Amino acid sequence: MRIQVRRTGGFGGIERFAELDTADRADADELQELARQVLAKGHRTPPVGVPDGFSYQITVEGETVYATDPRLSEKESRLVSVVLKEGAKQT
Amino acid sequence: MTEIQPTQFCTIVPPHVLDRLARSQDPALSAPARRTLEADAVQRTRRQLTAVAAPVPAPEATADVDAGADAEGAPECPQRTVHDCRNGTDLPGVVVRAEGDEPVGDATVNRVYSGLGATFELLLKEYGRSSLDGTGLPLNASVHFGDRYGNAFWDGEQMVFGDGDGEIFLDFSIPVDVIAHELAHGLTQHTANLSYYGQPGALNESVSDVMGSLVKQYTLGQSADEADWLIGAGLLAPRVTGVALRSMKAPGTAYDDDVLGRDPQPATMQDYVRTGRDNGGVHINSGIPNHAFYLFATRLGGKAWERAGQVWFDVLTGGELAVDADFARFARLTVSAAAARYGEGAEHEAVVKAWAQVGVETA
Ligand SMILES: [Zn+2]
Repeated sequence: MRIQVRRTGGFGGIERFAELDTADRADADELQELARQVLAKGHRTPPVGVPDGFSYQITVEGETVYATDPRLSEKESRLVSVVLKEGAKQT
Repeated sequence: MTEIQPTQFCTIVPPHVLDRLARSQDPALSAPARRTLEADAVQRTRRQLTAVAAPVPAPEATADVDAGADAEGAPECPQRTVHDCRNGTDLPGVVVRAEGDEPVGDATVNRVYSGLGATFELLLKEYGRSSLDGTGLPLNASVHFGDRYGNAFWDGEQMVFGDGDGEIFLDFSIPVDVIAHELAHGLTQHTANLSYYGQPGALNESVSDVMGSLVKQYTLGQSADEADWLIGAGLLAPRVTGVALRSMKAPGTAYDDDVLGRDPQPATMQDYVRTGRDNGGVHINSGIPNHAFYLFATRLGGKAWERAGQVWFDVLTGGELAVDADFARFARLTVSAAAARYGEGAEHEAVVKAWAQVGVETA
């Protein structure tokens, strides 16, 4: 399963993009389940953000949900964090 | 000279802030802070006298909608509360320092407490405004938000600061201009309420950078030509190639780094960036009004918060700035605000030239 996260905005306005494929990972099952739950409950359009807050675009197998600071669910927060930290980075 | 009676005077920026700055490894911060400490008694006396003797009334043409509340009975002391999220994301977290409390063991908490005080003091003493809403709104902040969260934001009610990842960003409470920037989002929300997209969004961002830089200059007692005009100096980790996140003096030059990329800010309309990302480039195109303010303030010389800052403040709080104002609309209002407050003299000429230099029409 391919999971992509694009983070935009923030105080610095610096964009981050990262992608990971769960196939390469030992925690594949857990991550896929987390991604499915995020997809099921996520916003289909970008929610209104706050000044300098990050906006997130989470894409799982081509399907996208949106989130903004500071109102990420605990699951969204966990998924975003794993992908941005451990996924392959691009700009 | 007669001695001032210290009645009703609250010490907002405690000397330990300046102590800290004076010990800073950044000579741009430490040298002026040392000078400020040396001149501290004189400065404080002058500010007290200014505040007591001459709260400048706003001229009718640009009367602050909240000016009445400011003048009569609005609180003249801040009401600060700093909370600790303890690296979670539940806001606001637990109270760790309330107004009047002694400094605590956590430097982040103390920096934010002092930064709130410095911003409150500038608004009150220089612009006659009691807090963000003009009626003494309590100032709330949360620190240690999230796990190595590399950001700070205004959530509509309070400021939130992350610790930074340590790799690219350090603690977001380090630069006083970042603290004041977030508070200024609250000021904008309570006044012009500029929308957060495209040009009005970039103006919203720029007003926060202007206030951020002014609070830093005010704290350090710097004149426009002594100031560094950087936003976020001291925030980048040592391995990052850059001096800050933005430069009002030279937009586009703050950093150029393998990981962070290159500072994308334009200085003039010729390089205006059209993008849907970052709410239509609010942190990118803010470089243009930022640079206009820098040009205005340095052309005038002296303390930037006095005349240049006053003109910007008049526009923000004057009631004529529309939520969807573009750069040209904002620029024209600064020209009329300069004329209303100072006549058709140096201030008017300087602001017209500043906007012309960044390619924004005011005629
Ligand atoms: Zn901002």
